[in-house]
Amino acid sequence: NSPAPLPERAIYGFALFLGSWFGFLLYLIWAYVPETWLFSLGLTYWPQKYWAVAVPVYLLVAIGFGYVLLFGINMMSTAPLNSTHTVTDNYAKKQQQKKFQVEAIPALRDIPISEVNRMFFLPEK
Amino acid sequence: EEQRYFSASGAPLWLRRRQHSASCRELAVRGPRLQLRSLSAATSAVWLAAYGLFVLCQNSMVLSAAIFITLIGLIIYLHFVKIDQESLLVISSLGIQVTSSYASGKESTTFTEMGQVKDVVISEAIHMQKVIYYLCILLRDPADPQGVSEVVPLFQSSKPRLDCLIEVYRSCQEILEQSKATPQSS
Repeated sequence: NSPAPLPERAIYGFALFLGSWFGFLLYLIWAYVPETWLFSLGLTYWPQKYWAVAVPVYLLVAIGFGYVLLFGINMMSTAPLNSTHTVTDNYAKKQQQKKFQVEAIPALRDIPISEVNRMFFLPEK
Repeated sequence: EEQRYFSASGAPLWLRRRQHSASCRELAVRGPRLQLRSLSAATSAVWLAAYGLFVLCQNSMVLSAAIFITLIGLIIYLHFVKIDQESLLVISSLGIQVTSSYASGKESTTFTEMGQVKDVVISEAIHMQKVIYYLCILLRDPADPQGVSEVVPLFQSSKPRLDCLIEVYRSCQEILEQSKATPQSS
């Protein structure tokens, strides 16, 4: 799964490059060439030209809306002040206590909030 | 008797501590009263907007409606929104009582008995694009002796800063130690 260049990736990249240029030229032809010329060539089944302007506008408005939506989703998924998620969670509740070994670094664990408070706030300055 | 602190948003607060007895303490946080300048500013803004509307549509009912809205809005604000004082009464053998007094005189009280109180701690949480310290009561979980079933945040409308919270925390912990040292016989 390394990001190194491979021959298959070069082929995919080139195919995407050609495909996107083709799509862009097709979009320009559809948007600018008058309908009568396209009909005379025999190509009659195109979407309405209204969409050549409408789709880019929809996309840009969706991007701007996405900023506001992401901000709102972030605010909604923040835990409220009265939820237990601000104090503990499932991993902390189920953690196992490792035995204390003399002269070894203590194992990593979640310290309960009462203990943390006593350590921080009770000693006099 | 009263010490001056600041709230998380910069407004001045006053903390008053009273010791009623060896096992009973009351801590009250008082915010500033409704200022005349903010009341005048709000009233003038509403009346200027109503006058602008009146000039546009020439209907004098807009002016009477604006006066009515200002009066009703002020009454609703004083009775339901503006909390003047929040107080915490800790009695070591009984429990903890939290009272909020509104500007109109209304008081709303909640009592938690000591058997349900696990601890009173200062926790920090994200609140509206800020991280604030707040004092909260942790309630015991009947199923799990080490677990917390509920978190009750205190001083929600005045939001004092950490220095005020540390004073309140130390006072509460002295009383709570007494209740833990003498366990009740149920």
